[in-house]
Order: sequence, then C-alpha cells, then structure tokens
Amino acid sequence: MIELSHVSKRFGEETAVDDISLRVPKGKFCALVGTSGCGKSTTLRMINRLIEHSEGDIILDGQAIEVYDPVKLRRRIGYVIQHTGLFPHWNVARNIGLVPRLLKWSAADVQGRVEELMDLLGLPVGEFAHKYPHQLSGGQAQRVGVARALAADPDILLMDEPFGALDPITREKLQDELAKIQARLHKTVVFVTHDMDEALKLADHLVVMREGRIVQQGSPLALLQQPADSFVESLLGGLERGLKQAALTRVKDHMTSMGPTLPAQSRIPADFSLRQALSMMLRDHSDRLTVVDQHDVPIGELSLRRIIKEAQLDKGSARE
Amino acid sequence: MSLLDALPTPRLRWDGRHPNTVLVSLSLIMLAAFWGLDVVSMAPNRIVQGTSYGALEALGWPGALLATLLLSFIGILAWQPSHRHYRALLAAVMTLMALMPVGLIASSYLLIDPELPQARLGLGATYWVVLFVLLLCLIEIRLRLKLTRLWPTLLLCGVALVWWLCATLWLDSLALVQEFKARDRQFLRAIGQHVTLVGAAVSISVVVGLVLAMLMRRYARLQKGAFAVLNFLQTIPSLALFGLLLAPLAWLAANVPLLGRLGVSGIGTMPALIALIAYSLLPMVRNTYIALEEVSPDTLEAAKGMGMRAGQRFWQVRLPLALPVLLEGVRITTVQAIGLTAVAALIGAGGLGTFIFQGLGQAAMDMVLLGALPILMLALVVDAGLGALAEALRPGGTR
Repeated sequence: MIELSHVSKRFGEETAVDDISLRVPKGKFCALVGTSGCGKSTTLRMINRLIEHSEGDIILDGQAIEVYDPVKLRRRIGYVIQHTGLFPHWNVARNIGLVPRLLKWSAADVQGRVEELMDLLGLPVGEFAHKYPHQLSGGQAQRVGVARALAADPDILLMDEPFGALDPITREKLQDELAKIQARLHKTVVFVTHDMDEALKLADHLVVMREGRIVQQGSPLALLQQPADSFVESLLGGLERGLKQAALTRVKDHMTSMGPTLPAQSRIPADFSLRQALSMMLRDHSDRLTVVDQHDVPIGELSLRRIIKEAQLDKGSARE
Repeated sequence: MSLLDALPTPRLRWDGRHPNTVLVSLSLIMLAAFWGLDVVSMAPNRIVQGTSYGALEALGWPGALLATLLLSFIGILAWQPSHRHYRALLAAVMTLMALMPVGLIASSYLLIDPELPQARLGLGATYWVVLFVLLLCLIEIRLRLKLTRLWPTLLLCGVALVWWLCATLWLDSLALVQEFKARDRQFLRAIGQHVTLVGAAVSISVVVGLVLAMLMRRYARLQKGAFAVLNFLQTIPSLALFGLLLAPLAWLAANVPLLGRLGVSGIGTMPALIALIAYSLLPMVRNTYIALEEVSPDTLEAAKGMGMRAGQRFWQVRLPLALPVLLEGVRITTVQAIGLTAVAALIGAGGLGTFIFQGLGQAAMDMVLLGALPILMLALVVDAGLGALAEALRPGGTR
C-alpha cells in the first residue's frame, strides 16, 4: 500500500507539488492525470525517492520512506519511463535481468526469470533475447521496459507516461496487455499520463492534478458522472463524457431478461461495453439488441430506453 | 503538397549504373603521374645528386605496359560500378600496392651497374603520388563496400609485409634500405624511444584526462578555467614549449636533488614528456568530458530508478556508453603525439625525429625518409587500430 499525506515539494521558491494526499490500496491501479507541468511526474518520482519530498509523509507498507535505504527501496519498486531508458549497450535479456542481478540472484534464476517475463510480454526468447535496444520497434522496446520493471517481482510498479511516445495502435495494444497483466499479477500501480482515455481504461482510482494540487480523485465512473469543475470536465472530454462513461459499463449490467416480443436482429456479446452497444444501435437503426453469451446463445435483451433511464439512476446514486 | 512536389526530381544521387567519377579521376591522375613524373632516381653514391628516370627507362616496356594496364583497369571498372566491380577494384588496388617494390626490383636490375657497389636507387615522385592516390581509392572503395576499418587495415598490413620482405631480400640498392642498414641498431632504438615516449605521454594523459573530466563534471567552475588553460597550452608552438621548459626544469634539477636523481633535467626525455602531456591533455580532456556528458539522461535516470548505486551507474552504464567517444579522443591524442615526438628529438629525447634532423643537416633526403616514413606508418596503424576498436565497441552499430 502507498499512502501520501499532505506531501509538498518545493524547488527553491517554486512549489511543484502542493499539499497532496492520496492512498493506493494494495493491488490497485492509480492513474495520475493532468496537463504537463502539473506535478504528476514529480509526485511519482518522490515515491521511489528519485526526488526527496519537502513536507508531509509518504508511507510504504506502513513505513515512512525515509526509513528505507533509497537504493534498496528502488530495487523493490518497478519503474518504467517514457523513453524506456533501456541500456543501449546491453541486449534485451541482460536489460531485463538488471534488478535480479543487482539483488545477487544466481545466474540460473536470473535466466529463468528473464525467459518467464519475455514470455509474459509476448517477446519470443529465441528471437529477442540477443537483440539490442536499437534493433527494436518502439512497442517492443517498451515491452522490454515493462519486463525489466517486473523482473524482481516488485509489489509496486511506477509508470511514468510509459506509452506516451508510441503510435495509437501500438499504444492501445500495450494498454490492453498491461490490463491483462495487472488482472493476473495485482501489482500496486501508480501510472502517470496526460491521456485521459488511457487513464479511464486502466485505472481503479483516478487522480486529476493541476498546478501541483489534486483537483479531484475517485473512481473513473464517479469522476465521469460528477466532474468537480470545468477543468476536470474538459479533461474528461466535455460532450464526449457520456460515451466515455458508456465505455466503462458492461452490457450485462444493463440487460433485462428476454421480453415477450420477437428478439432483435442485432446481437451483442454480454461482456462488450455500452459504448459498443450504442454504436451498434446507431449502425443497425435499432433501439433494441439481443445479448448473447460466449457461445452466441441469447441470454437477454438491451434497450436504448433502459440504458438512458439507468444512466439517470446512476447519476442519482453518485450524488448521494 | 505544393506544385513544386509534382515536378520531376532532378537526378542528384549516383545510382549503381553511373560511373564512379571519384575513382575514374583518381585512375587518370595515377596514369598521368606514372607517365609524366620521375619513377626512380639513381645516384652512384650517397653524396652525388641522382639522375631521374621515367617509366620506360625504369621499368622497361613490359613493366610500363603492365602498370598502365592495371592503372587503367581501375578506371574501367569504376566506369560501371557494381558490388562485384568494387570487390575487383579492392583487389586491383591491393595488387598495385603489393607490386610497387617489385617495380623497384626491376629498376635496380635495369639501372644499377653491378660494378658500382655504392650506387643507390631513390624513389621518384611517381611512387609517392601513386601510393597516396591508391590510399584515397581504398577509402572510397571501403565506403562503397560499407566495410569496417578492420579489413582494409589487415590487407594493408599484408601489403606492408610484402614490402618488408622485398626490401630485405632483394632491394639492397634502394637508398632507404642502405640508410637503414648503415644504422639498424640505432633505428630500432629510435623506434623504441619514440613508442615509449608516445605511450607514456598518452597513458598519463588518459588517466589525468579522466580525473580532470570527472572533476569538471563535479565542479562546474573548474570547467571554464581548465579549458582556458588547456586551450592556451595548445596554442604555444611545440618548439617554444620545449624551450620554455628548459630553464625551470634545469633549475629544479639543480636545486632539488631528488628530482635530479629521478631524471628531471633541462633537456632529454623529461621535458619532452612534460610537453607531450601538456599537448595531449586538451584533446583528451575535451573528448572524455563530452563523452561522459553525452550519455542519455533517460538511460541514467532509469539506472538510478532501477536501484543502481553511483559506482555501478558509472562503471556499468556511463563509462561503457562513453567509451567509443572516449577512444576517439585517445586516437586523436595518440596520432598527434606521434607527430610531436619527432620534434622532441631536438632537445635530445631521441626517437625517430633524430633521423629527420640529422638527415636535414646532412642534406640526405633518404635519411629524412628513414625517420619520416615509420612515423607516418605508426600514425596510420594507431589511427586504424584504435578506430576499429572504437567501432567494435559500439554494440550492433549503435549511434
């Protein structure tokens, strides 16, 4: 668990981070979002003591971080940065094995772990282990970056705009894989990004920062339903907000059992999002869809009228 | 998209089918030099001015024809260059270089009267021009074939071996060989002194340079001052620096007995070494400093974030990544020191410069060559060797 309470960072006269408090429970994914220069990266780097905080307390697993030796602390925390920071003179396998070697694992253990991680991140060992970073595409290099961060199996993972420099298609693919890996490994993740869609897609807990302060924090859905001010609203995409909210909701949460009427022509799997359902309705000129399970067997029905009604209900419950 | 983009692009780049104008013109230059300049000169003894001979007299018509064919061959191959033609060109250039001493052997049979044991053969302008142009050809071919420096260097070493064999076995009449035979012990000692001086100066300045560069990185204020001093040192003419060191070192040797016993004196090895180090420091420090500073901050940030200690970051990340640029500094420094050491002969430090200055004094140009050629060779070998090493240290051809 990571806990920041009343943490500030001053560089001379300037206050980069101003009295922020936030809590990331074990196994949760927290995204820090904001425009550039809002202090989100500084906040992240205070957690592994690349920057020392000026005031307040940062607590890691019940201990103030000043208690830890900074070097040993960093070896226990995975760290991924935007431009990968891979060592250009080391091949992929050696890059990934860095922290385990620093922790003096045996050579066989290091090699086993490296192969396991390359497997996890979809990098065939035979093809990639001996390549150098400059021979990799941007996406492959960042996979290696993530593998390196996970190498010593840290509980905490800090990611500083890891996918910021990638093209949209590669970025989305890596986001999906990160979500999958997180569902399996349950790391405590702090993820810095300026891309709200990325944050909405990945985070359990969303923190919006501006000029060193936290403007609003909460679950993605809560923020979408009730942005604190116009800044958060504009970050969330203004008019697009409704669709973004729909993207976070599953079809199965809004379906009803099959009605007496004839089933609708269009079919949608139950684990698709409401956003996809709405898109399908628009495409097929239909205000009703048949919901099917993974074997394409109808299990319920989704109607436009009901989606709109329940959206209002959600809004009411978020207000309470 | 503007209208300009729609215009057909003019052909600016050479593609494979266009003649390689560089090699074609180099081939023409060599042909002109071969027929227009003196190939060899012959003198009955060391003192007398020699007589010059052109291609037909020096090589006879079969030799002159063969040389002409080989030289034209380069131009013809370069007219329609392809990968295969470039390889053939490489072979032709190497063959020509290896055949050069054979040409001299031919000249010695044709021109030297066996009744005159003192007669000696001098290299004419043709040899120097053709050798120089062949080296230019080699550079061009190396770039076209995208070879690393290593292969041409190895091939050149092979050629040098051929020259050495020919010179020792069959070329007694060559003036250069005669000068060498007259003082072979002295020659070997001079090479030893030269290499020792250069080696000592460079290794000391590598260490001092590394320490200075690291101090500069820590104390920003030191940086400006140190570079100013080193820049100033570099502007003093070498002879003047030797002279400037004479008085203070002589005084030190006379007044501090310990230093005197350690070999410090106004003339000789010590002042030469000090001056060489003074000149070597600027290129060394500058390259080391830049090399260490140039390492990507992202990489170093990652190294720190991963939990590497300061020492680990320096030895495992910063230094290895700086090494190619750092070695470049060592290369420049060494080549410069090899040349400067020649001047050190003037203050009694020995080395190959001795022959140059003695030869100049006696108006014996062949003796000057005996000093100058090995200096040139040393510089070329070091240049190629360290260049190849720096290339090899870039994993997979990064940067």
